[in-house]
Amino acid sequence: MHEFRVQVGPAAFRIGSQWKRPLDQLAELYRDYPVPQIPDYSVRLESVSLLRRFIRPSVAINGDYMLPDAAPLPLEQGLLAAEMAMNLQMALGWRRHVLLHASAVEKDGKALIMTGQSGSGKSTLAALLGHRGWRFMGDEFVLVDLESGDAVPFPRLISLKNEAIGAMLATALDGRFGPLMPSTPKGDIRHLVPPSDAIAHMARPARPALLLFPSFGFDAAVREVGPSEVFMRLTQASTNYVALGEKGFSTLTRFVQTVPARAIDYRDGIEAEALVNQLWAECA
Amino acid sequence: MDDDTKSPNPLNSPTSRRRALMLGAATASAIVSVRPALAQSAASVMNCEIPVPGPHGTGMNIDSYGKLVPRDTPGSFPATGQKFTGEQVKAALRGRSLPGTSYDQSQAYVNYIRRLQSGQSGFTCYASLQMSR
Amino acid sequence: MVTPLDSLTLVYQRRSGITHIVAEPAPEILAAMGADALTADEVAQRLAAQFDFDSAQAADIIAARLNELADLGLVERCYA
Repeated sequence: MHEFRVQVGPAAFRIGSQWKRPLDQLAELYRDYPVPQIPDYSVRLESVSLLRRFIRPSVAINGDYMLPDAAPLPLEQGLLAAEMAMNLQMALGWRRHVLLHASAVEKDGKALIMTGQSGSGKSTLAALLGHRGWRFMGDEFVLVDLESGDAVPFPRLISLKNEAIGAMLATALDGRFGPLMPSTPKGDIRHLVPPSDAIAHMARPARPALLLFPSFGFDAAVREVGPSEVFMRLTQASTNYVALGEKGFSTLTRFVQTVPARAIDYRDGIEAEALVNQLWAECA
Repeated sequence: MDDDTKSPNPLNSPTSRRRALMLGAATASAIVSVRPALAQSAASVMNCEIPVPGPHGTGMNIDSYGKLVPRDTPGSFPATGQKFTGEQVKAALRGRSLPGTSYDQSQAYVNYIRRLQSGQSGFTCYASLQMSR
Repeated sequence: MVTPLDSLTLVYQRRSGITHIVAEPAPEILAAMGADALTADEVAQRLAAQFDFDSAQAADIIAARLNELADLGLVERCYA
């Protein structure tokens, strides 16, 4: 059994695997991250059956927290399986912050948070802005401190899908990319290591100053979003809101009452960046 | 987004002018409970209505994609601001036609509703339907 | 814990840990009742002093909302 450990923001992971290759890939991409002593979560990448360990090997995810009926992945996508496993542990088990499915970047001690469904562009926007003067805080989860309301970084490998891969290859010229994994359940995927300042400052929180709901693929537009609607959308975007009880309620209500929110439509990264800069100047 | 209407009555003194209260229908729920994100929700639909089109679309037709288009656009459907309840729209999202409409017209109306954005009449109602699924 | 927002009111129910998103007229009904035990007609009367509405079916509608609130534990049913 091979093992790999990594600290990302406030969470420590231990990943065990019967195969060495996916862990070698992880170790290479996460080489600048701290190594924790005591893990918060343990994840195992296991073979579906003894035979399948060697013939068309297939990876099943097992860990402290699991979703039943998750389909196993081929070994070439073991890196993806490990990332998905870490996501799952956070989504199901994290209790120290309110967890939002969102991306975030930081500037001047303030956080820009972007949330939406798959395909809205929140990951790609965070990746883009993180290479254009902002500090990348995360593309999958935003953690909101239950006492202070600050956004806490969780900068895992950036997960780029389909067209975003090409866009970031052109933008992050010094970036370190993982292997291309074509035709996964989510399309073509390639990981990008976050910029060095994102890793170096992963313990530094930021006060949320603007919330955006991006929609990729429409003519540029901006709409204000009222607190009731923001609240409803954020409870949908949070996997642990209900489990957090009263603290979750007070944290989220304070968030929707204090953080301005806008829905933005855009056709490309240039439009998006312009809208972001405009709204940041107005609201943050 | 406030759907209240004020009805100033010169016979009332200013101190007795009251805000209108939307009581809704007896059968329409006014409460949605937040359920765990990974679980199914059984909460019933909010007390709300969605006009098709809303005031911003008065005098326009709706095409099959749900966009507002000029009245004489071929293949588009007339719309008079008819109001549908959250429950009717929820059923329509599952395949039943909106009351008083043909299948194609209902599809167009549902697409219109799907495109509603914050600030437009009916949006909060539609958003709360999403919550209760 | 009750937090009114722009068009909806949020209610956190400590006993069950459930957050309810509540729309008009439920928050107004809760506010009009305070801690008192009232019939639907009495609630309607209190609301009529503060708000403008069509009173024809008000008592029935308010009764339905009170049932809903009672089922969720946000008000208590009293039997006189």
